[in-house]
Amino acid sequence: MRRLLALWEKEYLALARDIHGLAVLFLMPAVFIVVMSLALSDAFKDRPGGQTEFAVLAADGASLAERFVRGLSGDGYRSVPAPADEAAARESVRRGKPRLVLVVPRGFARGLDARFGRGSSQPELTLLADPALPPAQLLAFRQRILGVVLGLKVTAMTQRAGIPADPRAFDLEQAAALRVDAVGNPRAGRPSSVQQNVPAWLIFGMFFVVMPIASLFIVERRDGTLARLTSQQVPFSMILLGKIGPFFVVNLVQAALMLLAGRTLVPWFGGEVLALPARWDLLAAVTASTSLAAIGWGLLVAVCARTMEQATVIGGVGNILAAAIGGIMVPRFFMPESMQTLADFSPMAWALDGFHAVILRQGGAADIAGPCGKLLLLATALLGAALWIHNRRRG
Amino acid sequence: METLSIAAVSFGYPAGEAVLRKISLEIPAGGIFGLLGPNGAGKTTLISILAGQLRGATGRIAVGDEPLQRLRRRRPQCLGLVPQEYAFYPMLTGVENLRFFGGVQGLGGARLKQRIDAVAAFARIENVLGRRAGQLSGGLKRRLNFAIGLLTGPEILLLDEPTVGVDPQSRAFLLDSIRSLAGTGKIILYTSHYMEEVQAICDRVGIIDHGRVLVSGALPEVLRDGSGVLKLRLRAPLPATLAADWRARYALQDTGAAAYSLRPPDAAAVAQVIEAARSAGCEPLAIRYGQRDLEQLFMQLTHRSLRD
Repeated sequence: MRRLLALWEKEYLALARDIHGLAVLFLMPAVFIVVMSLALSDAFKDRPGGQTEFAVLAADGASLAERFVRGLSGDGYRSVPAPADEAAARESVRRGKPRLVLVVPRGFARGLDARFGRGSSQPELTLLADPALPPAQLLAFRQRILGVVLGLKVTAMTQRAGIPADPRAFDLEQAAALRVDAVGNPRAGRPSSVQQNVPAWLIFGMFFVVMPIASLFIVERRDGTLARLTSQQVPFSMILLGKIGPFFVVNLVQAALMLLAGRTLVPWFGGEVLALPARWDLLAAVTASTSLAAIGWGLLVAVCARTMEQATVIGGVGNILAAAIGGIMVPRFFMPESMQTLADFSPMAWALDGFHAVILRQGGAADIAGPCGKLLLLATALLGAALWIHNRRRG
Repeated sequence: METLSIAAVSFGYPAGEAVLRKISLEIPAGGIFGLLGPNGAGKTTLISILAGQLRGATGRIAVGDEPLQRLRRRRPQCLGLVPQEYAFYPMLTGVENLRFFGGVQGLGGARLKQRIDAVAAFARIENVLGRRAGQLSGGLKRRLNFAIGLLTGPEILLLDEPTVGVDPQSRAFLLDSIRSLAGTGKIILYTSHYMEEVQAICDRVGIIDHGRVLVSGALPEVLRDGSGVLKLRLRAPLPATLAADWRARYALQDTGAAAYSLRPPDAAAVAQVIEAARSAGCEPLAIRYGQRDLEQLFMQLTHRSLRD
């Protein structure tokens, strides 16, 4: 135990005096968490932040335009004054202000009197739309237009039939009382920006222990300290254990600080506060599993790389690739299905699944068993490979 | 401690030619054994095998009757290594390095502190222990490297070119320190390609080249020259008449700059030659008879210089 304590103390001292290593481990993920949580805050909402502006250009007069404006406004859509004519409307939409213009042609109001099934005589509505508008938003607006038109038609029919009715009764919003009841966690499967970015960049930072582990190991091998330790009968497995302990603690400190950043730094800059998990023990289990996999990866790179440049390329690029396909840089739900399948092979995706099971879905032990199991298996395989390669090289 | 016996030890890297070819050496305790050889001769490989860094060597290495490996399992602290490299952590201070290397060898508490104080005093680095090792001068780094090797008070000490790249003052200090260890009953193996160092501090010597031992034994025996050649360097060149006389009687050869080699038939004739030179006003500045230096020996054995 005395020997192990000496190895741990040495690692701590070496790491504490490596300013660049500390910056990579603590500053980089914290900065990513704040910047990305704020930058992507709107992208993670169910609809974009702010209001989508639209205008109604109706040739038949102000009352029809007002009816459309009243029916289409709300739920994230806001009307703005209509352009002078259709050419001006096209130019405005091309500039994105407003993003939608409904062009109601002359004679459209008269066409409302046409009987159902004989609507071919009714002039066609045109919706000028910004191509950058999300398809779901465009579809929703289209449905709102059809709802308003349907209301107008029903109003015309009741009037023609002599049935007294308040035209507002046929507004789409008045059609029925509809309550949306989200079953389970309302955010299940779709994290908020801070719920995505805090665990994602924490995992990224945890896996970056590969850099200080590999760089110190390569210095030890180059300077002959590893050989000296071997001559002092220190088993290689103990040397590896001497690195696992300190970097495990480093990963735990990273986790604590990054959660703190989600609770304090992100809201301080105007973002959402990270909701804490109900089960801290499960969070600790996910963190520990992620840490062991990250350290195992670091040790394998350290053993395989012969130079600092090799370690930087293998470790750094490997991490970035794993992050890119693992849903760290781009959330998995933004990815096409084939990429989501590929993400299943990234350890960072397993770790993110584990963190989301605890932080996002407030799940139980069964929910983290899969991700944690995969991470621990990987950690064992990586450590075994590091030992095997070292022994093979030693002859 | 008894004698370290290296018997028919061979070693080769996988898919490479043999580095050591049936090396055999006897390294008794209580002296210093100098292992000489040019770069690539196999000195460091032999040290690495003895230190347990390299595996796969054939042959037998034992201390007395006990295989070295078994002895080291039984007494892990019995062997100390001072490698060629500065094998310590530059970002740690001197004392942190000593504490670490002591700790991994099982030293702790008062015993560790006592050993740190002892080796720091021996290597005269007490005043720089608080400084980062990477910021020390080359000489102080060598001393720290040396001190780490002595931490456990090892009975077998392997010194692999421990004075490479240091200033003359530090070299002299290190050599004196190593020499002072000779009488302590340790087995000390000292490798170098500085022949004057080996000649100055070693009692026994072995010369290896291309993985083979060319010669080994007590230094005076190894350097003994049975050729009967007397070598003289005089203050002034010999008078022509005396030179002609000795050329006829002793096969005198003029090797330039008032230096000569000749073959007097016996010790009495040697004394007469020296006296005659003095009488002729040619005071001898250097006389060598019956002994050669390591440089000459090495060139005789390998037909090349040690530093080639």
